[in-house]
Amino acid sequence: MKRRHPWLYLLFWIAVSFLTLFPIYWLFVISVKPAVDLFSTPDIILKSFYWQNYIDVLNDRTLRGYMVNSLVISSGNAVLCTTLGFLACYALSRFDLPGKESIFFWTITNRMAPPAVFLLPLFLLMTQVYRIGDFTLLDTRIGMILVYCTFNLPFAIWTLRPTLDGIPKELDEAAYMDGASPFKVITEVVFPLCRPGLAVTLILTWVFAWNEYLLAATLTNFSARTLTTGLSEYVTTTGTEWGIMAAISVFTLIPALIVFGLVQRHIVTGLTFGAVKG
Amino acid sequence: MNLSVKLGASALALMLAVGSAFAQDIKVGHPDWWKNAGAKFDGVTLRGVTEATPPSNYISDVLAPAFEDLTGIRVEIETTSWDQMYDKAIKDMEAKTGIYDMVFIEQDIVYAYLARDFLVDFTAELKAHPDLKAANFDEANLTSFADNFRGKDGDLFGMPMEAFIKVYLYRTDLFNDPKVKAAFKKETGHDLVPAKTHAEYAEIARFFTKWGKDHDMKLWGTTAQAHTGHPASWYEFFESVAPTYGVYNWGINPDKNYAATVAHGGSMNSPEAKAALKWWLEMRDLAPPESVQSTWTEVATTFAAGRAAQGLVYGENAAWIASDKNKSRVVGKVGVALPPLEDGVMADAESGKGYIGYYDGGAFGTPVTSKNEEAALLFLQFLALPEIQEDWAAAASRITLTSTYDTPKVKALDKELGGYYTMMREDGKLFRGAPPYPFHAQVREATAQILYKVLTGDLGPDEGLDQMAAKAEEELQTLGYRE
Amino acid sequence: MHSNRLGWLLLAPTLLVLGLFGVVPFFYVVWVSFHQWNPFAANPDMIFNGAENFRRLVFDEAFLASLGATVSFVFFAVISELVLGYMLAQAFMKDFPGKGFFRTIHTLPLIMAPIIVGSVWKLMTTPSIGIIPNLLDSWFGFDLNIGQSAAAAFIVTVVMDVWHWTPLVTLSLIAALVSLPQDPFEQAQIDGAGKRQIFWHVTLPMIAPAVLATVFIRLMDALRTVDEVLMLTGGGPGAATRYVGVHIFKEVFPRTNYGYGSAISVIVLYLTIVVCWLLYVGMLAPRNTGKG
Repeated sequence: MKRRHPWLYLLFWIAVSFLTLFPIYWLFVISVKPAVDLFSTPDIILKSFYWQNYIDVLNDRTLRGYMVNSLVISSGNAVLCTTLGFLACYALSRFDLPGKESIFFWTITNRMAPPAVFLLPLFLLMTQVYRIGDFTLLDTRIGMILVYCTFNLPFAIWTLRPTLDGIPKELDEAAYMDGASPFKVITEVVFPLCRPGLAVTLILTWVFAWNEYLLAATLTNFSARTLTTGLSEYVTTTGTEWGIMAAISVFTLIPALIVFGLVQRHIVTGLTFGAVKG
Repeated sequence: MNLSVKLGASALALMLAVGSAFAQDIKVGHPDWWKNAGAKFDGVTLRGVTEATPPSNYISDVLAPAFEDLTGIRVEIETTSWDQMYDKAIKDMEAKTGIYDMVFIEQDIVYAYLARDFLVDFTAELKAHPDLKAANFDEANLTSFADNFRGKDGDLFGMPMEAFIKVYLYRTDLFNDPKVKAAFKKETGHDLVPAKTHAEYAEIARFFTKWGKDHDMKLWGTTAQAHTGHPASWYEFFESVAPTYGVYNWGINPDKNYAATVAHGGSMNSPEAKAALKWWLEMRDLAPPESVQSTWTEVATTFAAGRAAQGLVYGENAAWIASDKNKSRVVGKVGVALPPLEDGVMADAESGKGYIGYYDGGAFGTPVTSKNEEAALLFLQFLALPEIQEDWAAAASRITLTSTYDTPKVKALDKELGGYYTMMREDGKLFRGAPPYPFHAQVREATAQILYKVLTGDLGPDEGLDQMAAKAEEELQTLGYRE
Repeated sequence: MHSNRLGWLLLAPTLLVLGLFGVVPFFYVVWVSFHQWNPFAANPDMIFNGAENFRRLVFDEAFLASLGATVSFVFFAVISELVLGYMLAQAFMKDFPGKGFFRTIHTLPLIMAPIIVGSVWKLMTTPSIGIIPNLLDSWFGFDLNIGQSAAAAFIVTVVMDVWHWTPLVTLSLIAALVSLPQDPFEQAQIDGAGKRQIFWHVTLPMIAPAVLATVFIRLMDALRTVDEVLMLTGGGPGAATRYVGVHIFKEVFPRTNYGYGSAISVIVLYLTIVVCWLLYVGMLAPRNTGKG
């Protein structure tokens, strides 16, 4: 096979990265400009930095609470959805359940619903139906973790199914022959082989939960509000605080980057497993 | 990876380290009475929802903690965006959940809430609980803007917390520049003064747009709140432009079975409305290019960036445009005037038949589903205490009590704003809020889609207004208001 | 093999969560869709009106226009994302210096919330003050005005979506490509197959399930797009970018048209399911029969 020089790929990726990064760079530009400079002919290169937006954001205590809520909700939801999705896919892939292909297809239909009208029934269910005594799911982190399953669990199932189908059944059958329990087979035989798929699923479910706005805006009030709902506080009839919004957004990139960094390695690790398997 | 962890960790540490309490000294009369009144509600937390505007932020940052110090009642204010605020309040009241003890009621939605009996009658409630009536609260202190929140028998259903008029702003530096004045005189034969009529306004707008082009300046003759996909444009036309042509209450006639078309007794597609729309479209073409994407926010920012010589701007923005150097390039260069009018409109406004512009603002009301109506009664009175008004006005440029006009800080601000408060005090009666319709957002949304098409040029202004009038009637029929 | 009971047990939590938070609300929406219900109508109660909402839908020009705009938006956005995403994923399969770094950069758009993406693109594209219209004007003399030109607004929404979501496609396809066995490729090369033949006959059949899953996700997410477009254009100019997500939002939120909005949602959901089902059967059926 002809191999092109690696430097060509490097050049290619530098070019692609410019396009990818430009809007993010622009977000940064907005965050370090005073509002008065936003409505003038723009320069690509920044000439001066205005840090007040960052100081304002750092001084805002409620935002810190939002950040914690966002981290808890998206991490909790990503782990929950990836776990449940993994187990469900194992069931769908290894067992001969009647109607399983229909169930598989049905799961994804949960993600297709246009969100706006589903807010009302979710609001009613979470305040009046799913309750224990005075405890309702509205405005709680656990409530949001569960609600986000409606779009993230189908996603997890759909991205993990091909991965599980791709792992030869012979492997777990061999393990069963050796007397392993189903729990052991799932955690010690199948799980390691699924790592690239699981890592991608974890990252992407986390991202979807982290970025969600409409459901959080309606179903949280005081104690479980997330960063995205915090952002909407800066879009008002007396002016959109573009600079502060952008500064918060830059901050939201940091935890997201950490999560990405931690999980992405496993996609690469997966490479070797793929080779072993072949 | 390691680098990003380090960066993230240090940023988080920084976030936890920086902290500042936003405390301000608030002195209220009869503190002992308030303390006693609050003692009854030990452990109560009042919850409110509002839009994150400066007046509301002042409530959550300053007034709520002060109220808690005074009475021991905790107040939590949820601030969110405009559509969310409405949606959440409505869902709560409609489903009778009782999450909120106070909801923000903008002047234009109050009639919808009243029609549904969503709100507690403040006046009656206070009469029923004389022990909760604070000595330093008096309904008579409120400005006439409070009338927007009164029910049929004059009872108050919302405590005003902000009020503004949409005014005509112009750049005093340009209007007083001798070179500009001479050029204007030469070109038009008149002196350059703020316009009184639409023809004068258009003449000034044409002059400055040309002046900007000739001098290679980023300057245009007028602003236009002409977004092609956001109801802001609909509001500018129906609440700020059409009334100045004598088309009031959106051209809908409540006495004629809510007719909108001329054929049925309305005036939405009257010749006056059509003239108004054509004039406004011309202004839009003279305005800076971003106007096609401008809501109230961008109009204010455009003016603050010094890109327009004159324009109709909401009063809540007038204050920061004229005084905040971080946000505005035209500090100290802003003049205020009444909007330009057609003949006869001023007479209509003075007689109470019509109005010359939009008076907007909002109040806090208590939903009937609230579980803490009585404690909320205390907070609503607190919002209308004369002693807390001056700083609140200075921080957020809103005035809801007559006495606030005479406080030193407001007087100083008035000078800086080119007499905005004097105008609000003296001519405020010529402005009016949205018409008392319970179907405000419904008719707006139904007709706005047609207005957007007029703005993009897909539809002529005459046909556009004909279609809008017909659409409004159709929507009112569907909703059951029009027989 | 173990009994099916274990299988059902593993599936149960998923079915329970999706049942409680997906199916129950769905039935509520279906129930509402058979009613006339606007809490600010003269009669604020729910009035049963049979299939009237659905009858009205068929002749509702605003809805049909919105549906049409959505179809072209989804078509252009998803196709571009798929092609670009596949090419980028393949480029990541090669070895080159700084690969991990570039992969991280490439995934950055994903971690921006749609409302932020919409805000940044709005500031970048506002006529006269945005950087993009300014650059286009000075480089090509082209006047990009997303507040006035329907085509410009449409293209910008597509480009924004492609920028935001191509990384999702890339990531999913990388995961699929790295787990592929090497043998078939080596065998094909020995047999003297060309690049194109390898792609159509070896790579594609093997990654088809992953591609399908990705297309589905993008397809249904693009159909539901609300925040970004609402921030960027508000659905304008006119109704050019009033995609169904935005249309439903405007019916339900400001206009409080709960009954009719529910009917639109039910129909949109139904159409989405049909399209996805056809794709599912069309792409997977040949594979399954081949197996059997």
